Amino acid sequence: MKLDTSGLNSMVPLYGAEEDSEESILSVPSSFQLPRTTDFDGFQKKAVQMVKPAKGTTTLAFIFKEGVIVSADSRASMGGYISSQSVKKIIEINPYMLGTMAGGAADCQFWHRNLGIKCRLHELANKRRISVTGASKLLANILYSYRGMGLSIGTMIAGWDETGPGLYYVDAEGGRLKGKRFSVGSGSPYAYGVLDSGYRYDMTIEEAAELARRAIYHATFRDGASGGVASVYYVGPDGWKKLSGDDVGDLHYLYYPVTASPVDQEMSEIPVS
Amino acid sequence: MSIFEYNGSAVVAMVGKNCFAIASDRRLGVNLQTIATDFQRIFKIHDKLYIGLSGLATDVQTLHQRLVFRHKLYHLREERDMKPETFASLVSAMLYEKRFGPYFCMPVIAGLGDNDVPFICTMDAIGAKELAKDFVVSGTASESLYGACESMFKPDMEPEELFETISQALLASVDRDCLSGWGGYVVLVTPTEVQERTLKGRMD
Repeated sequence: MKLDTSGLNSMVPLYGAEEDSEESILSVPSSFQLPRTTDFDGFQKKAVQMVKPAKGTTTLAFIFKEGVIVSADSRASMGGYISSQSVKKIIEINPYMLGTMAGGAADCQFWHRNLGIKCRLHELANKRRISVTGASKLLANILYSYRGMGLSIGTMIAGWDETGPGLYYVDAEGGRLKGKRFSVGSGSPYAYGVLDSGYRYDMTIEEAAELARRAIYHATFRDGASGGVASVYYVGPDGWKKLSGDDVGDLHYLYYPVTASPVDQEMSEIPVS
Repeated sequence: MSIFEYNGSAVVAMVGKNCFAIASDRRLGVNLQTIATDFQRIFKIHDKLYIGLSGLATDVQTLHQRLVFRHKLYHLREERDMKPETFASLVSAMLYEKRFGPYFCMPVIAGLGDNDVPFICTMDAIGAKELAKDFVVSGTASESLYGACESMFKPDMEPEELFETISQALLASVDRDCLSGWGGYVVLVTPTEVQERTLKGRMD
């Protein structure tokens, strides 16, 4: 199996005739090194199990009249333990394209940054911005070539190009889907429930942002692996803009304020006549 | 995830000056999905004895019903309430009876004994008693709870301060656990009164 390592060809060595060992700090190795073992498949299986990719998260994105809304929670969990409540799951690929993170954090961060580099190179080579279709295809092809190696990525590429708003779902199994509404992660069923029932194509930006915020909030309430902060981004003709980042703990008491309940038993002074 | 982590739970008990507090979270889940946010894990055996049960929810409910039954029978025969030490031995024996098909519960027992001296203890699922003088913890958030209690606990706290401490320890610990939280429930028992309070926590 020949891996497509074009994803790593992003840097030209600084000094022209640098041809010596790959450990030179000024050049990028031309391929990922694979371990030399007798039982490669067994080693691969153990390596995949070690990383244990579990898509404990909730991310969503949808297209509406004014553009694209992208929203995500911010919790990172390892089994039952919450390792962080403040993870950035919406990755800024370039000023007019966003990617969401679900699955392995390292995988998503690396490959999204790599995609950003390739998009910029495309811009420089072709004197025009890359389309969302093209960018998602670049990513999908690279991920397909690493299929079965244990990458865990469930991402949505959202952006605005010449044809208008674009939204694609790309995963590490090599799937790439074009669509208008997606939600990815362990909390996605709960988010879909709210998103699908409240969605209309012609919403204002504020209405769409509130829908996304509610959908993420409901997912964090029901799903144990989602929580933290619900961030909402908007992608329009001028690029993306972060609209809000609300702590879901506060959102709960905003949507469902605590009402004073009648007291069951109360001691009071009885006036003595 | 193991059977103890199927429903998710967090229980903690702390000793103060002539008083004790026992607290739990309120979540009932099925793996990662949250089903209910008002599940009761702390049960009264008698006015000065409470038991908190963490672990599998069905065993929590069954064990609670069996223990209440046994205590009522004891009360009829002996015409008095059980001492906390005796009750702990009863729970330990009942759990060990099921040694080869155990209840998946880790109880936390807290009570006021003779002369209103506070008593707390915890057990594993097959009845190994562990007495403590300061605090005991149990549940999926137990490691976080150990850390939080260890740093926040002081001996001989007055009831108000004890309530504050146990609440903060519980909420801080469950905020680091995916499987417990969604509110808190605290019972504070002194020789003269019992206060039950619900805590407002993060609902994620």
